[in-house]
Amino acid sequence: MAPVEEDHCEDSYNYMGFALQQAKLALEALEVPVGCVILEDGKVIASGRNRTNETRNASRHAEMEAIDELIRQWRKNRLSPSQVAENFSNCVLYVTCEPCIMCASALSFLGIKEVYYGCANDKFGGCGSILSLHFANSQSSDLISTRDEYQRGKGYKCIGGIMAEEAVSLFKCFYEQGNPNAPKPHRPVVQRERT
Amino acid sequence: MDSDAWKIIHIPEKPSFPPEQQPIAKVYASVIKPKFTNTIVRHLCKIAPLEDFRHIKRVRKKILPDNGETQLTVILCLAPENNNHLNDMPSDVQKLVDPYELSPFVTEVSKFAAVSKEEWEEQCKIWPTSFHPPTYNIDGIGGFSEEDTQSICKFMSLAIDLAVSGQKSLVNAAVIVDPSVKRIIASETDQVYPSSAPCDMTIPFDETGESNHCQSLDRVTNASSEICLNSILEKLNGSLSAVACLNPWQWSLQPHDTEKCSQWHPLRHASIVAIESSSMRDRYMFPNSSENAGPDHSQPSNADSSAKRQKTSSHSPDVQNESGEETCRGPSMERPYLCTGYDIFLLWEPCTMCAMALVHQRIKRIFYAFPNPTAGGLGSVHRLQGEKSLNHHYAVFRVLLPGAADNALDHGLKHVAAES
Repeated sequence: MAPVEEDHCEDSYNYMGFALQQAKLALEALEVPVGCVILEDGKVIASGRNRTNETRNASRHAEMEAIDELIRQWRKNRLSPSQVAENFSNCVLYVTCEPCIMCASALSFLGIKEVYYGCANDKFGGCGSILSLHFANSQSSDLISTRDEYQRGKGYKCIGGIMAEEAVSLFKCFYEQGNPNAPKPHRPVVQRERT
Repeated sequence: MDSDAWKIIHIPEKPSFPPEQQPIAKVYASVIKPKFTNTIVRHLCKIAPLEDFRHIKRVRKKILPDNGETQLTVILCLAPENNNHLNDMPSDVQKLVDPYELSPFVTEVSKFAAVSKEEWEEQCKIWPTSFHPPTYNIDGIGGFSEEDTQSICKFMSLAIDLAVSGQKSLVNAAVIVDPSVKRIIASETDQVYPSSAPCDMTIPFDETGESNHCQSLDRVTNASSEICLNSILEKLNGSLSAVACLNPWQWSLQPHDTEKCSQWHPLRHASIVAIESSSMRDRYMFPNSSENAGPDHSQPSNADSSAKRQKTSSHSPDVQNESGEETCRGPSMERPYLCTGYDIFLLWEPCTMCAMALVHQRIKRIFYAFPNPTAGGLGSVHRLQGEKSLNHHYAVFRVLLPGAADNALDHGLKHVAAES
């Protein structure tokens, strides 16, 4: 299944293993189990997992958590925006599920080098499933062809299917245990339980 | 304020065209013998499914006028756009030609499903399609009442006011509103570049300070909106390059002064910051209502993220004011699920990142004043309100500002596009 080059194989499984570890932490915390790690020169420099329930902010996906960790670090070290951009261009992301449209856009804006993901995301996927935001010029609109290419980033290499079954089985665990924060429009509101 | 000069237009789920000028796609088709119909259709569904063309009927039935016989024509597969040759047919389909006595030809079908009866009637003239009238009903798609229009203009003016005030250059602004009580939930601007004001000094929920929102809202309500529009015109002499959603790839090109308070962040577009702010408000006002909102899960990055939560823009200190009011309302108040039922007002159409964040956060309606031709996610480049697979769909509206400012900004946009 994994269309990964032979010599990258073992490393890929290792890195995805770290990402799956993060996803398991999310599952334990009753979050949708997605996790990721970001690497620079083969070294893990940040990790993240879903925190949408805890924060009540549905944009706090694993990728956003890891990205924020890096930016905080680099800002603390007084890196300039162009140095930060340079760093991102050497970064590789391993994430257990295909980045959604939001995260795929964010990764394009940051100019990340490569993305490796586990299972595809056939509802929200932004790296091929629904939209293809990893291509610099995937835009379907005719308006775009005349515009300068550099204005919309370089795009990034994206490969899926690495340990996809493990990622899917975590989702299955999650949906069996139920999402405590899913909307329940017909239920009396939680506020009443606390007097 | 003079709401007559404002116009609110619905941005539909697909590009809109006059019924008789809908986009078409080319397909290979062939007349078939009725006895082969089932077999052929079964084969074709396997080897050439029409996935993005579910609205198209695979088989067309026609009664021939001269002899009254029924003629069946089937769509074999999609054809290349600019090529009328038959040799481009996939070999799997080609293999059916001889056994089933097909005589393929190229014809046209409607590219998108019809959204109105008029469109559907036009479509069926070229090839029969199916039509499912929209089942949902979001306030405003059928038009707004005078009162709604007034309040939409008011909140849009507030967004404009935020975008032009206190910043060196024009930025995007986002105002999240609960329309049922006309309450502002969050209002924020882009935080991509270091701001000249001392930033992140506001403690979100302390007991001091007046509500900035109420002030600015009163000001907007009482004064004429021309103030805002004029200040936009002034700022237009500058550049739009600091508007995050318009130039999301350009964040690293800004000059950087490390001596300044540096809370810049390439992804902190106004919508993202406003979502964060509304979630902080939710957690503050309903601290115990989530089953897992108890003690923090021990995660290494936790300290960081709570530090981040401390940080809120100077635009949102009204939360404490509001919360005092809210607690008085007692336990009957319902906790919202994310931003369900809320509206967001933006100066510019959000980029795909922000547009998807607003899907995740379950925003009900989006109002924006200006389109975003570089990265827009609501019709200019992509159109998330029309992506069927997403689990939530909001309604999208463009608010056309009174004449002058609108034209000037559209002009300004063209200028920006040309210069970059």
